Amino acid sequence: MNNTLSSANATAVAEKKKLSSNFFKKGVTVAILSGMFYGLYSAFLTLGMANGVWADWYGVNNAALSAFVITYMLGALGSALNDTISALWCIGIAAFKGKLGDFFRTLKTKPGRVMVFAALLGGPIASTAYVVALQMAGSIVIPITALCPAIGAIMARILFKQKLTPRMLLGIAICFTAALMIGSTSMSADAPPNLLLGICIAFICAFCWGLEGCIAGYGTSMIDYEIGITIRQSTSGLSNLIILVPIMAMLAGNIGLAPSLVVQAVTSGPAIIWFVVSGFFAVFAYSLWYKGNSMCGAALGMACNGAYSFWGPFFCWLVLGVFVGMEGWTLPPIAWAAAIVMAFGILTIATNPLDLFRRKGA
Amino acid sequence: MKPLNYAILKHFTKVKEACADDVIEALKGEYGHFKALKKPAVIEAIMTGEANGLLEETRYELDEKGELKVYYRAHEEGAATINKYIPN
Repeated sequence: MNNTLSSANATAVAEKKKLSSNFFKKGVTVAILSGMFYGLYSAFLTLGMANGVWADWYGVNNAALSAFVITYMLGALGSALNDTISALWCIGIAAFKGKLGDFFRTLKTKPGRVMVFAALLGGPIASTAYVVALQMAGSIVIPITALCPAIGAIMARILFKQKLTPRMLLGIAICFTAALMIGSTSMSADAPPNLLLGICIAFICAFCWGLEGCIAGYGTSMIDYEIGITIRQSTSGLSNLIILVPIMAMLAGNIGLAPSLVVQAVTSGPAIIWFVVSGFFAVFAYSLWYKGNSMCGAALGMACNGAYSFWGPFFCWLVLGVFVGMEGWTLPPIAWAAAIVMAFGILTIATNPLDLFRRKGA
Repeated sequence: MKPLNYAILKHFTKVKEACADDVIEALKGEYGHFKALKKPAVIEAIMTGEANGLLEETRYELDEKGELKVYYRAHEEGAATINKYIPN
């Protein structure tokens, strides 16, 4: 009798361990996949913004757009279109899974409103800051924005009392170093005139993304992540399209430019097809980011997602360089080395790497 | 009617402890037609709540079919947070 009982207990212990370990592995997988989808959506968004009417705007410029419009407004328009199309995908997926009712019910609740706030931080505010910083200071800002995992983890420690050990901080520092290695490959010698201001704006972007990741990650501990992403993309897409793009047009001195450019972009067949693809991948980039953060905590979730600073250039090389045959998209060797450093950083946050070298039971 | 995920968490503020099967049984009446009211999804929702400090594990056992049942409860702080964000 006692033997039967202890063997049942042993089975229960083993099953419980399996359940916990599967949950952890799924969380890490989801968070890593989010970074890969981020890379894929960036690549297809870049492809969309290089085709059809965009090729003219950024190239010959028959439309005679001003430098301001080309630098700032087109970035906001690309982001607005991507997020709006992504929101349509989200609504379709939610409807297919029978979650559309819960989407509207969640919107009316406190966590739903918090999610809208997180989406505004990460959508129009951070994304625009990212585009503006890139234009002002060049790609030196990319590793600065990659600070967002560290900011997210620290905010999660303050706001939600998630644990943050010295080992996790070391892992975040290793990930940041890897992002810096990737960023260093594209730093040009000629310093842009607005370097300092651009870097300051990049910090705003990192702060907003960090805060979005930790607030939305916590939000998805209560809200279904597929509903969370539907709220995120609808808020971000619509606020970009209805508020941000017209503001940019007003600053450019011609409010009529907003509807005119939107219509031209939407009706440009060779471009919009790639926006449909990028919008689809964006669904998973953000929903898995939220889900990963809620499953394994903001520090680990955001570090795994932060590998997007490798996946971005990687998929741009694969899609634009290898697949489409555009020049200038090869991946420098330092990026491959950085990917290994980043994997080691993520491992450091998730577990003590020294444990891997110790023998079991030693 | 609350969103399903809210109802799952809220259930723990009303009982001493519960496992995924108990939650499904309790919500079957109102949410039986929801595609997401399936055991793996409910377990994931509960474990995510645990990872974020809303719930804590109380015990686990094998049922008569040899399936693992893990019981959770909303501790004082967790219940307060759930009630703060999700009122009745």
